[in-house]
This record gives sequence, C-alpha cells and structure tokens, in this order.
Amino acid sequence: MPVHSLTSRERVLRLFTGDEIDRPPCFSGMGNVTAEGLKKFGYKFAAVHSDAKMMADSAASSYKLFGFECAVVPFDLCVEAEALGCEINVYSHVEDILYPTIKTKLINTEDEMDIQIPSDLAGRGRVPMMKEVIKLLKNDIGHDVAIGAHVLGPFTLAGQIMELNTLLKLSFKKPDKVGKLLGMLADALIVIAGEYEAAGADYITVREMGATSDVLSPRVFKSLILPYLTKIFSGLKGHNVLHICGKTNDIAVFMLESGARAISVDQKNDIAETRKKIGEKALLFGNYDPYNILVSGSQDQVRETMKGCLDNGVSAVWPGCDIWPTVPPENFHAMMDEVKKYRR
Amino acid sequence: MATEDMKKEILERLKNAVIQYDEDAAKEGADEALREGMDANDAIFNGLVSGMEEVGRLFEAQEYFVPELLMCADALYAGLDILKPHVKQLDLGLRGSVVIGTVEGDVHDIGKNIVKMMFDVAGFQVYDLGKDVPLDKFVEEQMKTHSDLVCLSAMMTTTMVGMKKVIDDLKAKNPDVKIMIGGAPVSQDIAEKWGADGYAPDANNALKDAINMISSLKKLKEEAEEKKA
Ligand code: B12
Repeated sequence: MPVHSLTSRERVLRLFTGDEIDRPPCFSGMGNVTAEGLKKFGYKFAAVHSDAKMMADSAASSYKLFGFECAVVPFDLCVEAEALGCEINVYSHVEDILYPTIKTKLINTEDEMDIQIPSDLAGRGRVPMMKEVIKLLKNDIGHDVAIGAHVLGPFTLAGQIMELNTLLKLSFKKPDKVGKLLGMLADALIVIAGEYEAAGADYITVREMGATSDVLSPRVFKSLILPYLTKIFSGLKGHNVLHICGKTNDIAVFMLESGARAISVDQKNDIAETRKKIGEKALLFGNYDPYNILVSGSQDQVRETMKGCLDNGVSAVWPGCDIWPTVPPENFHAMMDEVKKYRR
Repeated sequence: MATEDMKKEILERLKNAVIQYDEDAAKEGADEALREGMDANDAIFNGLVSGMEEVGRLFEAQEYFVPELLMCADALYAGLDILKPHVKQLDLGLRGSVVIGTVEGDVHDIGKNIVKMMFDVAGFQVYDLGKDVPLDKFVEEQMKTHSDLVCLSAMMTTTMVGMKKVIDDLKAKNPDVKIMIGGAPVSQDIAEKWGADGYAPDANNALKDAINMISSLKKLKEEAEEKKA
C-alpha cells in the first residue's frame, strides 16, 4: 500500500501494527466530544450519555468538523461502575457541561469488599448501549476513521465503586485484600472491553488515572497495580493503549511492562526523557494539555506545542486527557494542520 | 511529674508514631503522656503535630504519597482523640472554624481531603461538606455554623466557575467571612479576580500553607507560654 494515500483509519491501524506510515496520526483514546459538535445537532451535554444515536453523532462530529483521526466513546467514566450496580448522576438539570458522576458507592467499608461480579455484566447498565454506539460509528465513519473505546483500569474502577480513602489506605495496609478486588474487577473489565471489541472497536484504551504518581508511589504501582493491568492486557484481543495522567515519569517503564501495545501520558510527563527510557520502538502517545493549550492557548501556542510533542518523540499526537468540550474550532484546526504538515 | 528526659522521650514517641503511621503507638504515647501528667497541649503540638510536619516534608519530597498521608493522619487522630478532652479550652484560643468542600459537579476530593486534614491538625473546627456539593450549601453551612473561613476546591475548569458564584453569594450575605480557594485549575490570578481572600497553588504548596498555619500557631503558643513563664 502506498503510504502517501492512507486514510486516517489505515494510518492509526498501521501505527499499532508497526507498519510504515506517512506521518504520526493526531487522535485520542479518551472522550472527544466538543461543544461545537453538540451545537451542530442541538444536543445537550447531559443527554448524550444515555442515548446511542446522540452519543455516536457527537463522537463522529470531531472527525467531520475538524478531521480528528478517530471517534472515541464513552465521554464519562461511569459505564463500568453502573454495570456493577452503582447509580449515576448526569446533571440533567444543569445547562453547563458537567461530567457524570457516581451517586452511591457499592463498598463503604473493608468488610464489604467481597462483591460478586454479575454474570450478566455484558447486558447491564449502558454496556448494550455502548455496543450500539460503536456499531453506529462503524457504519457512519468506520471506513475512514478508527473507532476507539475506553474502559477504566481496575484500581480506578475500584475508586469509583468504593470509598476512595478506604481503598487508598488498604492498598498499603492490606494489599492482598485490595489485590483480590482488583483481580475480580480486571475480569469484569475484560468482559466489557471484549464486548466493545466484538462490536467493532478498533482499539481499547485502559485508563488507570487513579494510580498516577500524584497519588500512589511507583513502588505500590509496581507491586499492586501492574499485575492486574497485565492481566487485562493479556485478556484483550485487539489493539490497546494504557493511559495514566499526572506524574508518570517514574512508572512509564512499568506501564509498558503491562503488555499494553502503547502507553499514553499527559503534559506532566517529560516525554523526551520517557522516550529515552523506553527506546525508539515503543509506542508512546501524548502529551499536550487539552485545556491550557488546546482550549485556552493561542493558535501559535497550539502549533508550537504539537510540534514540541513530535520533536520530543511521540508516536502519535494525543491529548493528556479527554478533549475538553469548549475547544475553539480554530485551535482544533491549527492542531490538525500542524500535525499534518510536520516532517521529521 | 515527669522528668524532662521522660517528657522528651514521650514527645519523640508521639512524633514517630505519626511519621510511621502507627495508630497503636500514638494511642499508647498519648495515654502515657497523660499518666505522666504532661500538658495535653504540649503533647499535641510538640509530639503529634510535629510528626505531621515531618510527614508534610516527606510528601513534598515524594517519599510519601497519598495513602501514607492518610494513614499518618489516622495515627494523629488516634492520639488527638485521647488528648483533646484534656486540653484546657483557654489554650485553644486561636482555633477557628472552617467550612470545606468540593464544588458541584466535581468528585475530585483527594486534594480537598488533604487540605481538610491539615486544618484538623491545626486545631480548627472543620465542617466537611464532602464532594459534589450544591453551591447554595456552602452559604447555608457558613451561616449555620458562623465559620470564619470557607474553603472551596475544584479540579476541573468547568466546575471551577461555580466557585465564583459561591464567593459572590457569601460576600453578599457576610462580608467578614474569609474565603480560600484551590485545586489544580485555580490560580492566584483567578482568586484575586473572583474576590477570594486566599489561595494555595498546588499539592505541595497547599500542604506547606497548612503547615505554616500550624507552625505559626505553634509559635504564637510558644510566645504566649514564654510570657507566662
Ligand atoms: C484521581 C483523578 C480522578 C478520579 C477522582 C477520584 C477522587 N475521589 O478524587 C476519577 C477517576 C473519579 C476522576 C474523574 C474525572 N476526571 Co479526573 N483526575 C484525577 C487525577 C489523576 C488526580 C487528581 C488528584 O487527586 N491529585 C492528587 C491531589 C493530592 O492533588 P490536588 O487534587 O491537586 O490537590 C492539591 C492542590 O490542588 C490543593 N488543593 C486542592 N483543593 C484545595 C482547596 C483549597 C481551599 C486549597 C487552598 C488548596 C487545594 O491542595 C491539594 C493537596 O495538596 C487528575 C490528574 C492529575 N494528575 O492531577 C485528573 C483530572 C483532575 N481529571 C480530569 C477529568 C477531565 C476527569 C473527568 C471529567 C473524566 C471524564 N471523562 O469523566 C472525570 C470527572 C468526574 C466529575 N464530574 O467530577 C482532568 C480535568 C481537566 C480540566 N481541565 O478540568 C484532570 C486534570 C486530568 C487531565 N490531565 O486533564 N478523576
């Protein structure tokens, strides 16, 4: 295949398979809804989380409006916890953009940690809807663009379903008990991610932001978090990425050891240093600040930052977290243009 | 009465109990301090709190992380529970009260909990509203408790704007109340623009600020003591 006529989808897939590409793609594995996209359809942010067509339309709009080289769903971090039995709040009474949150935790104390993973997990909460969304996206733009989906990492999911302070302390005091929970959650996540893969997702991003070095020590990351991430990545069938935001320089090598095909870090990571540590071949995605650069930076700043990411050796230009909905269209265009014209 | 050496040893044990997040040792140390007739205030500030100051330094140096911090706090609280009833009310003259919470739509509360802990340590009466707190609730709680200080935390640029509304409402109802804001997207600039009285920039500095508060509290106490002597 001539590498000068690649579609966005081919470019992304060839990146994952290690085949030659014309330039690094500009895409993401985290939510990519924009206020501009919502406006196009007249959708309210609070409504798009629980309607398959609305979610698919919104996700596809970042490609259609700006040429972003992917469509990624969902936009919130509550799908897995909801399937496990948590209630969520989408803030339907608010006009502003507020992200959904968990209303009630399943586990409040140490004695409540022996939970059962429902055997019909794939049919619970919004999991069936998410499969529908992925199929809609495949039909709509799947020929040209890679379709991504994300799940949480086991520890971050544990933080969603369990009192976080208790979890943090127990991860130190009773790592065996926490490990058992993480093992169960890893199995649950493999089931959910497997459903997304079966529905046609081209790649899965596992978001383990709760285990960032802003919160947990690299030592605990290695002993308690890494084994269950490894479990997940050995259970996934397709292309995959491990994302952790915040401080990650001291855990980047462990992140790669998890077996993830690619790792993704945010703007707090010194990416040139990480590139040195993990070698030339490893896939490293990052690491622009989706708010302070893409939303509130000038177009020049946006261009400089994207060029900086590429100069520092990222394999794909990719945000440090979700694309922040209020991104100005001209900044989005500037980003795409800068990446497209970059030559190593 | 305990000898000076013995006192020193007990204070050292209290301090280390906090640093090594050893709740049992903190309880034993506190009991022993009381048994030996030590001043409860002395045991709290020169023992437990002094340990927490060291914990703050370890956090800053990234030797300790959030779980360690939470466990150290538990050890501190365990000692505090035993010593507090023996503190003469007079000695707590400096104590203020504070309402704290993470604003509506935002569940990021790790940072808020750390800030809260520091106020606890400094001897403040803390009313913790938790996370995802409806904006009106801050005003309501401040009026109800007549707190001196309201602390608002937000970790997202979208939820951060809710703080401005709370500041306006609070200042309208009660111009004397002090307001401190923080969280990753917040800045000194924003704090000034929105009329907040205080701000701490990041994890380390929030902690430092809280520790400074404790330290100045300690200093004032020491000065008061020197005058007495
Ligand atoms: C852990 C985490 C989560 C956890 C939160 C768990 C919990 N109960 O707190 C979970 C997984 C639930 C989560 C969810 C989301 N998150 Co989040 N999360 C983080 C993360 C990785 C760490 C935050 C943290 O705890 N840091 C450690 C603590 C110790 O630091 P701190 O909070 O800054 O607090 C210190 C100071 O700020 C200060 N401080 C804090 N409060 C106050 C108050 C006062 C008065 C003062 C003086 C000081 C002060 O002192 C603190 C102590 O030292 C950050 C990225 C990062 N590394 O910062 C993203 C981050 C905050 N999340 C982000 C996002 C986008 C989300 C989601 C919207 C994702 C989604 N698609 O749904 C949801 C939001 C849900 C909601 N509606 O709230 C973005 C926000 C972007 C933005 N510009 O707004 C961040 C910055 C990630 C990124 N790189 O972009 N997240």
